Amino acid sequence: MSETASASIVDRIRGRLEGPNTIGNSTPFWVGLGVVFAALAVFPLLTDPYTARQSSRYFALAFLGLSLCFVWGYSGILSFGQVAFFGVAAYTFGAIGINFSSATGIGAATIGAVAVGTLFAAVLGYFMFYGGVRDVYVTILTLVVALVLHTFMAQTAGSEWAIGDAQLGGFNGMTGIPDLTLGVGASGFVFDGIELYYALLFGLFVTYLGLRVLVNSSFGMTMVAIREDEERTATFGYDVPFIKLVVFTIGGALAAVGGVFYASWGNYVDPTVFGIAFAALPVIWVSVGGRESLLGALAATVAIERMQTGLSGGVGDFLGPEWALVIVGGLLLVVIMFMPAGVVPTLDSIIKEQLAQRRGQSSSPTATEEASD
Amino acid sequence: MSSSSDPTVRQTPAVAATGDATDTILATTQLTKKFGGLTAVDNVDFTIDDGEIRCLIGPNGAGKSTLLELITGQLRPTKGGIYFDGQDLTDLEPHERIDTGISVKFQSPHVYENLTVEQNLRIPLQRTDRDTDAVLEQTLEEISLTEQVEMTAGDLSHGQQQRLEIGMAVTLNPTLMLLDEPVAGMSVEETREVAELIRSLHDDGMAFVVVEHDMEFVTEISDQVTVLNQGQIFRQGPIEEIKADDAVRRIYLGENA
Amino acid sequence: MVVDSTALYGLLALMFQFFNSFAFIVLATVGLAIIFGMMGVINLAHGEFILVGVYGTALVFHAGIPLPVAMIAGVAITVVFGIIVERTIVRHFYDRLLDSMVATWGLALVIAQLLLIVFGSSLGSISTPMGNVAYGPYTSSIYRSIFLPVVAVLMLVGLYVLFTRTEFGIKARATIEDPETARAMGIDTDRMYVATFGIGSGLAGLTGALYAPALGSITPDRGSTFLIEAFIAVVVGGPSVIIGTLSAAGLLSVFNAVGSFLAGTFVGQMLMLLVAIVALRMLPNGITGYVKDWQQRRRAEE
Repeated sequence: MSETASASIVDRIRGRLEGPNTIGNSTPFWVGLGVVFAALAVFPLLTDPYTARQSSRYFALAFLGLSLCFVWGYSGILSFGQVAFFGVAAYTFGAIGINFSSATGIGAATIGAVAVGTLFAAVLGYFMFYGGVRDVYVTILTLVVALVLHTFMAQTAGSEWAIGDAQLGGFNGMTGIPDLTLGVGASGFVFDGIELYYALLFGLFVTYLGLRVLVNSSFGMTMVAIREDEERTATFGYDVPFIKLVVFTIGGALAAVGGVFYASWGNYVDPTVFGIAFAALPVIWVSVGGRESLLGALAATVAIERMQTGLSGGVGDFLGPEWALVIVGGLLLVVIMFMPAGVVPTLDSIIKEQLAQRRGQSSSPTATEEASD
Repeated sequence: MSSSSDPTVRQTPAVAATGDATDTILATTQLTKKFGGLTAVDNVDFTIDDGEIRCLIGPNGAGKSTLLELITGQLRPTKGGIYFDGQDLTDLEPHERIDTGISVKFQSPHVYENLTVEQNLRIPLQRTDRDTDAVLEQTLEEISLTEQVEMTAGDLSHGQQQRLEIGMAVTLNPTLMLLDEPVAGMSVEETREVAELIRSLHDDGMAFVVVEHDMEFVTEISDQVTVLNQGQIFRQGPIEEIKADDAVRRIYLGENA
Repeated sequence: MVVDSTALYGLLALMFQFFNSFAFIVLATVGLAIIFGMMGVINLAHGEFILVGVYGTALVFHAGIPLPVAMIAGVAITVVFGIIVERTIVRHFYDRLLDSMVATWGLALVIAQLLLIVFGSSLGSISTPMGNVAYGPYTSSIYRSIFLPVVAVLMLVGLYVLFTRTEFGIKARATIEDPETARAMGIDTDRMYVATFGIGSGLAGLTGALYAPALGSITPDRGSTFLIEAFIAVVVGGPSVIIGTLSAAGLLSVFNAVGSFLAGTFVGQMLMLLVAIVALRMLPNGITGYVKDWQQRRRAEE
């Protein structure tokens, strides 16, 4: 009795997590994911603190990757400005956290920063989607917003550019941003080093599962419908601008969460977060990993950032560290030309094909014919 | 009048603006749409009864598609009002109009080509509170696509795609269905299937406005025909009368020559 | 009397600022607008294409060649570069608009980084020719405030003639309008795409060449200097190249000039962005998109 009850609960949970909009709807996948999670959980114990600390940075950036995957891959809104919400949240976290460095203050900074980043996305989204701005115009406008913020932040070097005790700092950036802290009152649990790693790993994992539930829900189906054909979806009575606004706002919130983690990770943020090179990164991660795959975005963010770190020592004798960006840009070009769906979905379909073939070989010839039909 | 004798037909109260016949479901009053100096729809008072099939014909540029787009809210009228099922639609957003019980299939075919037939049907269906699985099965049967349910919609034939589109619109369980050229580019066989589909839905009490050029098809499905010309209602009546009308023939020949 | 002349000088300075800004927006935009309007491709490496023109000009100039010749060389280098990019990368993306943006963005990163690797963190600057004109408390650069605006206007006129009065222009527009029919009429559409992309690249190169002596320091990240103005202008102007660029540049440079004149470059840019957002709120497909929609609607009903 209890066994069937627990089995049905597992089925219900899996029913929520699985669907046509995500890769990995099989038991082997979940086992594999569990193994990866466990491996990442013991990873800091096996490696040096520097590597663990770098990994925390990849995880913080992975929120940014997920946010773009969500808005672009699932709703077709290609935003080049996710870094704007990321950066605004990072600066806001710094500004509040520096002024109120108690545990309560940092808690407020966290909530405030995510709220400001989210609200910023909502306002921009409102103007775009209710104004009927679409396609490439959305892309350009979001990029321009990020670039204008870059121009703005770069010229805030003077001491008059301060929010309370927090100096915006122009090109030199905002320094002295506190660590994430959980607690009430003057002091609390500080997330630094390994604690931050675990907070990020856990947060990322929960976010990934949460997004899986969301994209496989009826709302996710609606997002996909809008991605595939906006006009047609409107004719079924869907309020397309509103749904796009909701999606864009959620995407902004995810980017903002990443920004808070990022600022507290380095205790620092500077205008390059709004710059064109950084703005390109989420697009590269998501394109390479596979825009219609949350897992792809996640894996590619971590892999590409890890690769950049690896390249920062140079490659062999000929290529210095300055080649890292050339290699990453080149990787993007190659993937988008030869693997438009991205690496993870391409791998997924290859695996599926292989499995189908093997199944076909082991059963009767008629079945093979049907399978290949 | 053509109201169906089927007991499931909803006997909706009269539309305030017209105030007469109790079974009028859609009414436009002095509906006008101007583009710059051009009047595409000119003072049109157009009514549809609950459960009827009305074909809308007329030469190119007569304002048929514009009239449909005014009803669905893709366009805003310059003047006049649109009333449906006791509600004033004139200032509603397009998606709000769908919720009042109007469903539409526009001229250019738009299925979700990268999604499966089932997903295509689920997208409109999940907006309703109907029993998804049961309606899905029933709709697939009605549009004869049960076997293709797992296929990607882009791989269907043209006729199958058109049927799928009608099926998608039908899952919303509308009171009134607007179809813009549902059989354009179809084979004789496919046309016949669509006609059957429309008739069977009509038997269940659904009203239709169909914009169509194919007069054979019109004859097959229609009770009443409205002829538009230069944005105005030119003639209205039973199909046989319209076909026999010399003036109607002249505007067609004149415009198409 | 003194008050009067001060106000007059101020007005004159504002006018020069407007000319300066107008020229910058037109020149920064036109190459991007041609490629977008004619081919539907947003070239996100546009800033780097301009940069190729800047570097080409600067390198030739520093080799001891006179500036005008160096500029021509800069344009030629950019055209060749553009054609190579079109043949190897862009042509794969004619029916994949968003992918083309992503791909050209990857390209932009690669170009900027390669320039850094090959030529170092900066090239020697070139002094601005033609000197300054001084009036009251103000000075304006003749090159930036008079010469470049004249060039910008001539360029738009030239493009208008090219696309409406020449056989090439008519063929190019036919290709853009309907590639199938154009092919059926014997137009080599492939060549048209190359040529259009080449012209767009050449214009970007010309912008680079013209601004090479007006940028101050020449660094590999200067490409993005042009991007904000170019993108905003394309968004506001919409897909019709000449009228779109002209109207957007006219509208935006008024706000940019007033903002910059009164409160500095950043405020000028902010004002432009605000104008762009408001303009898009009202005309989602840009100024010319609106005009085009309206014309199509009319034609459809006739």
